[in-house]
Amino acid sequence: MHLRPDHKFEFRRAMVFLVFLSAIINPAWAGDKTTLHLWHPMPAPSRVVLNELVAQYESEHPEIAVHLLYKENEEVRMAYMSATAFTEGGPDLLYGPSDFTGALVEMDIVKPLENLFSKEELAAFDPNGLTWYNGHLYQIGDELGNHLALVYNKRLFAEVGLYRPPNTLQELIEFGKMLTLDKNGDGIVDQYGLVWNFTEPFFFMPFYTSFGGWVMDEDQNPTLDNDAAVKAFTFVRDMRDVHGIIPAECDYDIADSKFNTGAAAMLINGAWSWAKYMESPFVDFGLAVLPINEETGLYPAPMIATKGYYLNPYLDGERLDQVVELLKFLTGAEAQFKYASRLATIPTRIEVRNRPEILGNPIIQTSIEQVQHGKAMPISPQMRAIWDAMRPAYQNVLGGSMSPEEGAADQQRIAEQKVAELFEGQDEDSDAFNVTVIIVYLAGAILIIWALYKLVIAFILPLMHGVPGVQVKESRFGVLMVVPAALFIFGVVVYPFFYNLIISFSNMGLTTVNNWRIIGLSQYGKVFSDYQFYHFFVKTIIWTGVNVSLHVLFGLALALLLNRPLPGKGIIRVLLILPWAVPSYITALTWRGMFNIDYGAVNIILRNVFGLEPIAWLIDPTNAFIATIITNVWLGIPFMMIIALGGLQSIPQELYEAASIDGASPWQQFKKITLPLLKPVMIPAITLGIVWTFNNINVVWLVSNGGQPGDQTHILVSFVYRAAFNLYRYGYAAAFSFMIFLMLAFFSVKFMQKSKATETVY
Amino acid sequence: MIYSLLLLAVAWSIYPILRVITISIRPGDNLLNESLSIIPDDWTFENYIKIFTDHPLGAWIWNSILVTVTVVITGVTLASTAGYALSRFRFPGREVGLLSLLVTQMFPATMLLLPLFIMLSNLHLINTYLGLIVIYSSTALPFCVWQMKGYYDTIPYSLEEAARIDGASRFMAFYKIILPLASPALVITALFSFMSAWTEYIVAAQVLWYEDMFTLPIGLKSFQANMTTEWGLYAAGAMIVSIPAIALFLFLTKYLIGGLTLGSVKG
Repeated sequence: MHLRPDHKFEFRRAMVFLVFLSAIINPAWAGDKTTLHLWHPMPAPSRVVLNELVAQYESEHPEIAVHLLYKENEEVRMAYMSATAFTEGGPDLLYGPSDFTGALVEMDIVKPLENLFSKEELAAFDPNGLTWYNGHLYQIGDELGNHLALVYNKRLFAEVGLYRPPNTLQELIEFGKMLTLDKNGDGIVDQYGLVWNFTEPFFFMPFYTSFGGWVMDEDQNPTLDNDAAVKAFTFVRDMRDVHGIIPAECDYDIADSKFNTGAAAMLINGAWSWAKYMESPFVDFGLAVLPINEETGLYPAPMIATKGYYLNPYLDGERLDQVVELLKFLTGAEAQFKYASRLATIPTRIEVRNRPEILGNPIIQTSIEQVQHGKAMPISPQMRAIWDAMRPAYQNVLGGSMSPEEGAADQQRIAEQKVAELFEGQDEDSDAFNVTVIIVYLAGAILIIWALYKLVIAFILPLMHGVPGVQVKESRFGVLMVVPAALFIFGVVVYPFFYNLIISFSNMGLTTVNNWRIIGLSQYGKVFSDYQFYHFFVKTIIWTGVNVSLHVLFGLALALLLNRPLPGKGIIRVLLILPWAVPSYITALTWRGMFNIDYGAVNIILRNVFGLEPIAWLIDPTNAFIATIITNVWLGIPFMMIIALGGLQSIPQELYEAASIDGASPWQQFKKITLPLLKPVMIPAITLGIVWTFNNINVVWLVSNGGQPGDQTHILVSFVYRAAFNLYRYGYAAAFSFMIFLMLAFFSVKFMQKSKATETVY
Repeated sequence: MIYSLLLLAVAWSIYPILRVITISIRPGDNLLNESLSIIPDDWTFENYIKIFTDHPLGAWIWNSILVTVTVVITGVTLASTAGYALSRFRFPGREVGLLSLLVTQMFPATMLLLPLFIMLSNLHLINTYLGLIVIYSSTALPFCVWQMKGYYDTIPYSLEEAARIDGASRFMAFYKIILPLASPALVITALFSFMSAWTEYIVAAQVLWYEDMFTLPIGLKSFQANMTTEWGLYAAGAMIVSIPAIALFLFLTKYLIGGLTLGSVKG
C-alpha cells in the first residue's frame, strides 16, 4: 500500500484550511457608520437610478450607509414577513407596490406614518400616492404605476397602412386581423395582431372592467360571478378562437419576446416594461390608452398601484429619525423627477408632475391618461384570495375545460372559500382548548423523552460502556466516527421539526401570526376534508414512480454502455452529465420554452420528423403534467448514471471472466452478478431519489409556471405552497407539510424494509 | 450500435443546454425565439462582458468557492467516517440511526424554510457563511453517509483484518487501506456535496443580506425580476455557474473509474 509521508503537503493543506476558516468566521462589516437597510423589488433600470440616489445621499450624509437588497416581488414580501413577524428584525425600509399593505397591517408589521410627516408635507402628494388603511397612513409612494396600456409597433402598423392606434375594442379586433400575417405562406402565423400574458388575471382586468365588472364590493366581498365576467371571458376567447388575432398560448415571456422581436404588432403590458421596447431595434414604439368598449361605453380600467416605501415597525429613537430623513429624500421632488425623466414613471408629487419636462413627455402624458381611466388596486388582503380564485378559472376558460358561465361561477365560489380561509382561526371555538393543549404538549414531551432515550441507548451508552461482545475500544471508535455527522444532521433539523409540529396544532394565520394558540387537530381535519389533497396525492405518487423508474432505467443503461473500453468515452460521459451540472432553475425554464405549442422545439421536432400534429403541452393539464415529468427525467438521469458508474467499479472483473467460462449469457451475467452487486450502492440512491422527487417543488413550479393551467399541475408540496403559504395559512401549511412527511416516511420505510438496504452484502 | 444509442442520449442531454447558450449569446432580452438555430446570426458576447463589468461577479465566485469548498471538505470527512462506522460496526441504534438519517431528507421544504430562518436568526447566523455551511453540509450529508456506507459494504472485511494482523490500528486500517479503495464513492460524495452547495439559492437568499456577500446563485437570481427578467444575463450567468461544475466533473470522473481495480491488485 502506497503511503504518503509528505508533510509539506499536509502543512499546505492545513494553511489553506485556516485561511478558509478565518474567512468564514470573520465578522465583516464593522465600522462607526449607521447602516440602514432597504429591501426592494425594483427591476434593473430603476435599480440604476436608485443606486445613484443612494450614492448621492451617502455623500451628503457621511455618517449613514444605505444597504440595498434586491429581491423579486413575492420574495421580498415573504422575506420581509419572515424577518419582521417572526424574528422582530428585518430591514428598516421596504419598497413595494401598495397591495402589500393589507397583509402587512393585518400581521402588524408596518409602522403608521401619519405622525412622522406634517400636513403640508403630505399635501404635496397626489392622494393616490399615499396609501391609507384602517385610518392610518402606511405607505408613501414615489410612483403611480403598474398600470397596463396598449403598446404598439408603429412600423408594423405602417406596413399595412395604419397610422393610428385603435380607438375602440371593435377597431382593436379589425386592426388585429389586418396585422395577423402569415408572411412566408407556410400556414403558420408569423405575426400576431395582439399579444399579452393570458395566464395572469391581472391582465384580464381591463376587459372585465370594460364590461362593467369589478373584483369586490365595499365590504371586500368578491363579486366575480356576473354578466361582465361572462362577456369578458367570451370576448377574450373569441379574439383567439373566432378572430384569430392572438396566439393559442401566451404567457408573459412569450408576449414580451414576440412584441420585442417584431412578431406581434400590439401588446398589452405594464408601465414597468415600456423602456425595454423603446430600445428594441425591431420596434417603433407607440403607446396608447386601452380602447373604449363601445358596447358599454366604458374604458377598460387597468389596476393602478402606488409604489413606495413602508417602515419597519420596530424602529424608534435616533434610528427612526435617520430612516425618515432617508424616506423623505427618496420620495422627494428631485428623486421623483429623476425617475420620471429617465424611466417615464408618473411622479406622485403634483409639483413634479407639472414641470415642463414631464408635461412635454408624450409617454408620461399617455400614461397619466391611462391612469385616469384606471381603478386603484384594492389593498386589503382579500385581493390575494381573489387573484388565486380568478387565475385557475380564467386559465380553464381559455384552455377550453370550462365555459365562460362556469368560469364565472367557479371563480366566485373559490374566491369566497379562499377569503374565508384567509381569516380562519380567529374564531375557532376554544371549548376543547384545555384538553387538546394538554394532550399536544404531553405528546410532545413524550416524544422528546423517547428521542433522548434512544439517543442515550444508541450513542452515549456504547461510548461509556461498550457493547456486549465487542471490545470497548472498538465500539467507542465506531460511535466517535458517527457522532460528528449525526450532530450536524440532527442539529439542523431538530428545531424545525418540533417548530413545525407545534405550529401544525395551532391556528397561526394572517391575523394570528403573533398571537396564535394551540387549537388541537382541526388543521389536520381540514387537510383530510379537502378532496384536492387526495387528488394531488395520487399525482405525487405517479410523479415519483415514473420519475424514479426512468431515472434508474436510463441511468443504469447509460452506465452499462459506458462501462467498457470505448474510444471517446470520457467526452461522452461528461456530455451526459451536463444536465446535472447546469443549474436547474435555468434549464427548467428552457424546457418550458421548448414545450411552447407553436414555436417550441419539441413540437417542431414532432412535426418535422414524425409528422405529428402540434401538442398543447402547457395548455392541457395532463400534457402539462407529462411535460414536467419529461423535464425532471432529463434532470435526474445523470445523477443515477454516476451512482451506477461508481457502483460498477466495485464489481471485480474476475467474476465476469469466471461466469463466461462457465457459459453464462450476458443477460445471466447481468442478472446474477451486476444487479446484486450494484444493490448496496443503488438502493440508497434510489431511496433518496424517491424522497427527493416526492418533495421536488422546483421543477414542477418552474415548468408549469406555478401550477398552470388552472392550478392543476401540482404535486403535494407545490400545492401546499400555493394554497397555504400564499394565503398566510401557516398552521394549515404546517399540518399539510407534516402529513406529506408522514406519508413519505411510511412509504420509504416500507421500501427500505423490502429492499433490506440496511443489510450488508458480505 | 452502441455509438448511435450514446449519440442519441448525448443529443437529448445537451440540446436544452445549447438552448441556454443560445439565449446567452443572443442580443436583447428574449427568452423565446422562433428560430431553432443554436448560434443566432447576430450572436454576441455582450452579456458575458456585461455580467463581468456591471456586477461584482468576482466576489460572488470567490464567496461561492469559499462556501462550497468548506462544505465539500466537511461532507467528505464526516461522510467517509460515519459511513465507515455504520458499515463495519454493529451497535444498538444503528438501524434506527440509518433510517433516521433518511427521515431527515423527508421534510418538505415548506416545513423547513421558516423555522430554519428563525433558528439561524436566533443564533445570530444571519449574514454569516457559517450558517450557510452548516445547512448545506447537513443537506448533503445523509445521502453521502448512505452512499459511503453502501460502498464500504462492497469492500471485503478481510482487507482490514489483514492490516490489523500486520499491526495497524483501527483508524490506520480505515485511513490507509479502505479509504483509498472507496475512491469512487468519495468522488460521488464530493460531487454531490459540491452540487448541493454550488447551485443552492433558496436558503442563501434568506441568510445573506449584503450583495458583496452573495454566492453566485443568488447573484444570478438578481437578474430575475418579476416580469422583467434579464434573460441574456441570466443565461450567461448560468453558463458561468456551470463551468466550474463541469470542470470538476471532468477532473473527478477520472477517479470515479478504477478505484477498486487498483485495490484488488494489491489487496
